[in-house]
Amino acid sequence: MDTGRSYGPHVAQAPPEYSLCAGCNSCEIICSLVHDGVVSPSRRRLAVRRDIRTMMHTVYSCQHCTDHPCYDKCPKKGTAMKLTPDGVAYIDESGCIGCGLCHKACVFDPPRINYVKSAPKETRRARKCDMCLGRPEGPACVQWCPVKCLTVV
Amino acid sequence: MYGYAGKIARINLTDRTVTQIPTSKYVPENIGGRGVCNRIFWDEMRPGIGALEPGNMLIYMTGATTGTGIPTGGRSVFTGISPNSFPEQYAWSGIGGMVGAELKFAGWDGFIIEGRADSRVYIYIEDDRIEFLDASPLWGLLVHPCQRKLEELHGDGVQSMVIGPAGENLMRNASITTSNDNVAAKSGFGAVFGSKNLKAITIRGTGDVRPYDIEKIFDLRLKMGSPYMRPSPLHREATHGMDGNEIPVEGGWLRGQVACSHGCNQHCNRLMIDMKSAFGDERINQVEKCVGIFAYGFQEDCSWTPIQNYETERNHFLPCKMLSREEPEPDTGDPHFSELFTPVRGDVTNYWKPDFDKGSVMMDMCNEYGIDKWDVIVWYMTWLSMAKKEGLLDDLDFGMEVDVESEAFVRHFLDMITYRRGKYGSIFAEGMARAIRKLGKEKYGDTIYRGRYSQMTGERIDVPVSLETAWGHSYHWQGRGFEATINKPGWIATSLELMNSSRDVQTVAHHHEKFENYLEYKDDPCHSPLLVEGVAFDENKAEIKDSVTCCDWQSPDLYWPDMEAEMFTAATGIPMTAAQLSEAAERSRLLFRAILIRDFGRCRDMEVGAIFPTMQYPDPFGQTVGWDEWNDLVDIYYKRRGYDIKTGVPTRPTLEKYGLGDVASALGCAAN
Repeated sequence: MDTGRSYGPHVAQAPPEYSLCAGCNSCEIICSLVHDGVVSPSRRRLAVRRDIRTMMHTVYSCQHCTDHPCYDKCPKKGTAMKLTPDGVAYIDESGCIGCGLCHKACVFDPPRINYVKSAPKETRRARKCDMCLGRPEGPACVQWCPVKCLTVV
Repeated sequence: MYGYAGKIARINLTDRTVTQIPTSKYVPENIGGRGVCNRIFWDEMRPGIGALEPGNMLIYMTGATTGTGIPTGGRSVFTGISPNSFPEQYAWSGIGGMVGAELKFAGWDGFIIEGRADSRVYIYIEDDRIEFLDASPLWGLLVHPCQRKLEELHGDGVQSMVIGPAGENLMRNASITTSNDNVAAKSGFGAVFGSKNLKAITIRGTGDVRPYDIEKIFDLRLKMGSPYMRPSPLHREATHGMDGNEIPVEGGWLRGQVACSHGCNQHCNRLMIDMKSAFGDERINQVEKCVGIFAYGFQEDCSWTPIQNYETERNHFLPCKMLSREEPEPDTGDPHFSELFTPVRGDVTNYWKPDFDKGSVMMDMCNEYGIDKWDVIVWYMTWLSMAKKEGLLDDLDFGMEVDVESEAFVRHFLDMITYRRGKYGSIFAEGMARAIRKLGKEKYGDTIYRGRYSQMTGERIDVPVSLETAWGHSYHWQGRGFEATINKPGWIATSLELMNSSRDVQTVAHHHEKFENYLEYKDDPCHSPLLVEGVAFDENKAEIKDSVTCCDWQSPDLYWPDMEAEMFTAATGIPMTAAQLSEAAERSRLLFRAILIRDFGRCRDMEVGAIFPTMQYPDPFGQTVGWDEWNDLVDIYYKRRGYDIKTGVPTRPTLEKYGLGDVASALGCAAN
């Protein structure tokens, strides 16, 4: 989607002519395992949107907008939503109050911030791709995709 | 609990109630999946219930690995009384997709469907909430439109299992379908859904599955099945089909490779892109697995290469590598290389010439109507072809000239049986085994087809027009019919596996054996305890696959016997060895057999009587098996399993050894 914005380094899906997403959801699985030690659709930081009919699937991940509207909208910025020195916006979930404003502020459809509104208030948190901050190998989803259809651009 | 979600839902459609059962009631003793299903069915069911009656119980279970990211753990299993088995018996049906993981995210390891709704319903599960919703907007929809409608109703990201018109109309080989065209088909449980007025089950889960050992999961992801871990681009193929069925496709066709289930590290299923649809001008994508290839052309049976069954340490690879064309380079230095890799051409069958568009239409109709492709491709259509050539159909009015090479006829026939149109629509909707008996088995089933020739001997192979084997299923890796080209020691083993089952078993107990063992018994397979041990091994592994859960195309790895135990422990944290899993598999098989004995009259005479006639037609090498040698083999097998040799009933000591003293008492086993 061309929004006329500029983006920082982010995880992107390669075209099928390079590698077809096998639809295994490994990226989602690895993401929540690496971050939280569980597998959970509520805790993944990127999403595979499955097409029932074509069986060709789309991986949606945060594009790391350089003007980071999600960060700007966070009422707890600096505590919940933070910026790296490189400008990567990430969420420190220990400070997140689960208000969902960052999710609403995301310019993409579907929003690239995972926010499960129906989750109990005490555990409701927003989650977004942090490029596996501090992980020497880089984003785990890219590393572990069995068909290497994810890359950092 | 690590790995498990912790509870099973008992869903009663009659009074629309839901109750919970703690999963810990059944695990770890019964592992999960089919092992738990067998225990529940034994505990709760009684004889005298028909497959399509409200009293039939459909049990669905995931495994401890489901939703954990352990490769192949996304598979799950249904069990219940199968309307497609002949006679009706307790059976199972595996299914891939995302639905098992989604159920666990919702907090459930499985569910038991009981009763019958008084109006058409579908079940919606969102975490702890389970609702019975009006299925009027869904009833009559084809499979994919139904899945899409459920997404419209409940939002993106829900996972559904649905039936098509075949299930609604109680076609005995109707499937249950979920994402990526994954089906539970062989047992006809789609008809059980239909009989319960149940169109679909849709699930949204937002919770967590917590595996025990994440580092081990990463280790397994790298080790299991030697994952590709490199780009898998779309390929334009110039031809389609294999062996004598290969045809050029004008402009080529586009092939992708996709995974069948949540978290798998393989992509063994072919995605055929931009194919002809049976339902309009829009081009469609569809998934092709093994049998589907023959929808397009069936002039020649599948060839066989011994490495598909017999393996050495230097040469063994997983079946999932075949459809993705990623077989490793063979080790030509293996002293058995030549024996393992010399292909044996399949019989010339002359069923139908290749037709790319017609094949696509046949596949699409099976997908959208929700019919078992095996029955359509290997049985209905081959029968129509053979019976027509033998002049058997002159007196049957199907409303159209029978011609399996005509797309119009294929459409007409599948439409007729799915919607039970006319006299013959209703007859064939009962499945081939029942239809042939209704028409008259001697003429319509047993007449010899005179158009099949062995490419090994050059001789005509006299097999009947109806490719029926035991339990109302069609031949599969059994020396006759489809995938017939396997040598006698091979089909002796697969036939023994089938005898002990209640349905085609080669989809989950695909026969694997060490080549060194094969060399020991190849000249006298019916008197070999070693062959029997191999059969017991494959049967137990099948039980393990459907319980842990994992996949028939990655398990077993004969040279990594602990694989499934490592998967289980990584998921649950419960120490497990291959020997302990094997013990659990023995227990599960004993429960399965006890159910067949108690509820369906299984005994030695019944099962030998079901299997023996199927091996009296010549295999491609002209071989059959004699009564005495087969019974000698059954003796060895029963002794190995701890069954009474005369009756086939497990002995009390056998049952007690596996903690099943209650089962021994229920079966009336004498105290020793």
